[in-house]
Amino acid sequence: MSAWIDGVLVTLILTNLAVLGSSRLNACIRIIALQGVVLGLLPILVGEGAPTIRMTLLTAATMGLKGAVFPWLLLRALRVAGIRREVEPFIGYNWSVLAGLLSLAASVWLGGRLPMPETARSSLVGPVALFMIFCGLFVIVSRRKAITQILGYIIMENGAYAFGVVLLEEIPVLVELGILMDAFVAVFVMGVAIYHIQREFDHVDVDQLDTLKG
Amino acid sequence: MSASWLFIILLAIPTAGAAACLAARTPAAALWTVFAGVVLHATTALSAARRVLALGPMASNGEWFLLDALSAWHLIVMALVFVPASFYAITYFRDETASGALSLRLARRFGALWFGALGAMTLVLISNNLGILWVGIEATTLLTAFLICLHRSPTSLEAMWKYLIICSVGVAFAFMGTLFVAASASRTLEPGDALLWTKLLDVAGSLDRVMLEVGFIFLLVGYGTKAGLAPMHTWLPDAHSQAPAPVSALFSGFLLNSALYCVLRYLPILERATDYSGWAPRLLVVFGLISILISAAFIIFQHDLKRLLAYHSVEHIGIITLGFGLGGLGVFAALFHTLNHSLCKTLAFFSAGRLGQVYGTHDMSRISGALRAAPLWGLGLFASLLALIGVAPFAIFMSEFQIAKAAVDDAAYVPLALFLLGGGVVFIGALRHVVLMAWGAPPDGTRPERACSCEWLLVWLPLLALLGLGLWMPHSLYDALSQASAIVGGHP
Amino acid sequence: MIEPRHAAPLLALALAPLMTGIINRTKAFFAGRQGPPLLQAYFDLWKLLRKGAVYSRATTWVFRAGPMVGVATGAAALLIVPLGGEPALLAFPGDILLLAGLLALARFFIIAAALDTGSAFEGMGASREAQFSALAEPALLLSLAALARLTGGLSLSDLFRDITPAAWVENGPALALAAAALVIVFLAENARIPVDDPNTHLELTMIHEVMVLDHGGPDFAYVLYGAALKLWVLGALVIGVLVPWRGPNPWANLAAVVAGLFVLSVAVGVVESCMARLRLLRVPQLLTVAGVFAALAIILLRR
Repeated sequence: MSAWIDGVLVTLILTNLAVLGSSRLNACIRIIALQGVVLGLLPILVGEGAPTIRMTLLTAATMGLKGAVFPWLLLRALRVAGIRREVEPFIGYNWSVLAGLLSLAASVWLGGRLPMPETARSSLVGPVALFMIFCGLFVIVSRRKAITQILGYIIMENGAYAFGVVLLEEIPVLVELGILMDAFVAVFVMGVAIYHIQREFDHVDVDQLDTLKG
Repeated sequence: MSASWLFIILLAIPTAGAAACLAARTPAAALWTVFAGVVLHATTALSAARRVLALGPMASNGEWFLLDALSAWHLIVMALVFVPASFYAITYFRDETASGALSLRLARRFGALWFGALGAMTLVLISNNLGILWVGIEATTLLTAFLICLHRSPTSLEAMWKYLIICSVGVAFAFMGTLFVAASASRTLEPGDALLWTKLLDVAGSLDRVMLEVGFIFLLVGYGTKAGLAPMHTWLPDAHSQAPAPVSALFSGFLLNSALYCVLRYLPILERATDYSGWAPRLLVVFGLISILISAAFIIFQHDLKRLLAYHSVEHIGIITLGFGLGGLGVFAALFHTLNHSLCKTLAFFSAGRLGQVYGTHDMSRISGALRAAPLWGLGLFASLLALIGVAPFAIFMSEFQIAKAAVDDAAYVPLALFLLGGGVVFIGALRHVVLMAWGAPPDGTRPERACSCEWLLVWLPLLALLGLGLWMPHSLYDALSQASAIVGGHP
Repeated sequence: MIEPRHAAPLLALALAPLMTGIINRTKAFFAGRQGPPLLQAYFDLWKLLRKGAVYSRATTWVFRAGPMVGVATGAAALLIVPLGGEPALLAFPGDILLLAGLLALARFFIIAAALDTGSAFEGMGASREAQFSALAEPALLLSLAALARLTGGLSLSDLFRDITPAAWVENGPALALAAAALVIVFLAENARIPVDDPNTHLELTMIHEVMVLDHGGPDFAYVLYGAALKLWVLGALVIGVLVPWRGPNPWANLAAVVAGLFVLSVAVGVVESCMARLRLLRVPQLLTVAGVFAALAIILLRR
């Protein structure tokens, strides 16, 4: 099973790099959806033996939310607000991928220094979680549109989620659902906010939201 | 009443209140529902807090909930912020409800979100599960975001977006930190218990130290963002200045404290796990001092009244954090300062909001003669700002003095010097603004504002309380603070 | 007694051009054409070898050396690349680097020969080839390093012997990543779609073809034959990773690998029929992806 978990974690890394390298918002959203689906596999893979109700519930909730509902919300925001489909980064795609690789190296180094508990099902999870947090932050600061900031937030959230699932076997299901619920509301609220910003400003470029200073 | 019922009621009142607000027929009805619900909630919370302070901690519902002296103390502060702020909302929005600027839809939304914030903060205070604690904090961010842009304008949307993104990202960091802390217990605790604060505290000595320290850094950065610690405070002045005054008061008075409360929960665990090496408190001292100094710099050159108050919040959160970091008497003083600052800052935002309505601006260069133009609120602003910059004999002076004394006791002279430097700069910088706003001739065209008698209560009660607490500390208060600071100190 | 490892290089020398034929037939099939005969590549070589060569007065010996070095390095590489789990004719620790070095040598001489003509088109092709191979080579080395890390072998023969179904079960993700990187390198180094279009008729879009425009007669035959050998060598690496099963009979294994190479040729034909060539600007990204795959494989194997 460990190889499968590693496979999932590697897919997470690759999807992040793909987000850094792709120029279309649509594509980015779909990649994040794929990331969500793959993430949903984790609870099942981590558990030993037959899937329990808890795992099935978590998998269903994660896949449904991150694989279907989030992308739907974001694509809808894209459509309703009439946002142009280019990502419009401050930092070019090639440099972004390079930065992603550097942060991957940094997180492998950092993650290797963490004393992982024996319950951890894969020693790769620490580095991957750190990498996804770096990646999410990078997407948030290096892209112009507000919607990419949501994508960055989702990436960070996914990283932390993967970390939790692989590292800790038994987080009470209520807590997990609360966390998922929060993520859902966050993306929903941000989507609504983007709609209002687009209506008020006729754009969603965060670098132009600079009236308030000092 | 059994403990578990108490917790359920504490969470049920905001839920029911939110539903009632959504069904309100008129804007005024929604606002009055808010007030009634908050008063009811405050009564319950205060009685619970009294019971805890007298009889010891209450835990229930399979250890999901816990109410000890620390959370009881914060419940009290929360009640003291929410009740006046809800009442103030009625007076603040009176003109807007009359003119139709506050439509029924907006009033309903305001009420529901207000109750939502109340419920989320209550959840933060009463939960024993660190995961739920996180869920509560994230929920406050999401619920209060739309309170900032209740009146939609480009600037308020900008402030809301910054608040939403910066705080969500920060709180995601805190989530990682929570997981690290849980992972540090994987060798000692049953997997299901690794998020329970009481269990973690019991076995703190055998937790994995490196994981715990990494986790605390994440937590401090994450919750510190929400608490407005510099340099993660950037969302704070924008959100505070753009939100309607009752919301600003709520943000400054308790939202920041509730985030800092989360850091406090981890402090005793860290201290025990590191054999009281003072590693975690030192971090708090550093962040506290950075906040004090940065906000001092911004206060001198500030033009906007509400931004001035926002930077005061950064400063005071810094002072509170510094107090927690110094330990001993510092913790006691910091908890006392939490109360003083919340009382004082809500009053300051109340006054700033009403003065803003009178003058039509928050630009301090255009506010003058406030004591003549709006005697009551001018006095409120004048007195609360004086209290905020630490003028004796207000209670803030006392708590700051105690923090300074804690620094001397600790022989922490460098932090003390920096603290006094920051305090001095703030004193001089803010005093200049205060004097210019309070005296002088009001600009032409401002009609003297007449305040109703209930508004007198809003101004005088906190002022008298601050004055009284500065001169004399009741024994029950001393007792409550000692109990709460013992929990933060972590000594068994 | 002739053993499979003796037979393998000879087989390669004989069958390498057939791979090109299979690719072309596959493409013709997808296009609904009859297509050239399978042995067309041999006919071409035969025809070219009988022709005379024309050399520009501007060229030097470098121009003639290019194609020959291409064939020589390809043949040398055949000696160290194992087929079917049996050790190659030559095997020593570090021959991984020799393989990369041979490929680099061939590339260097082809580029030098292209520059030697002084033609603007060939210079352009040489520049592109140099740029892309600078990215492909690290990807190749990284993926070989990943395989070396996995198996503990430093010689190609040891390395491919230890890639077994058990290794796939244990380290599936890492092997899959390394294989993916090798496939991309295979396509890029052999100037196939999506990196380069071997059938293009527009010099401006060519990479590999444009470099050999001025070669004719036997020299061009050497170029074609050298390219075929390179296709075989890199294909053998891909098949070595992707087909880990080995039977008891070494001859059968050898036959299986050769069959695998032909299947790979069909696959290349399918890819070329379904995809368009990437824009030149995107090619470095594709090669970077290969490097990333290989690097990830190494990270996965770091324990």
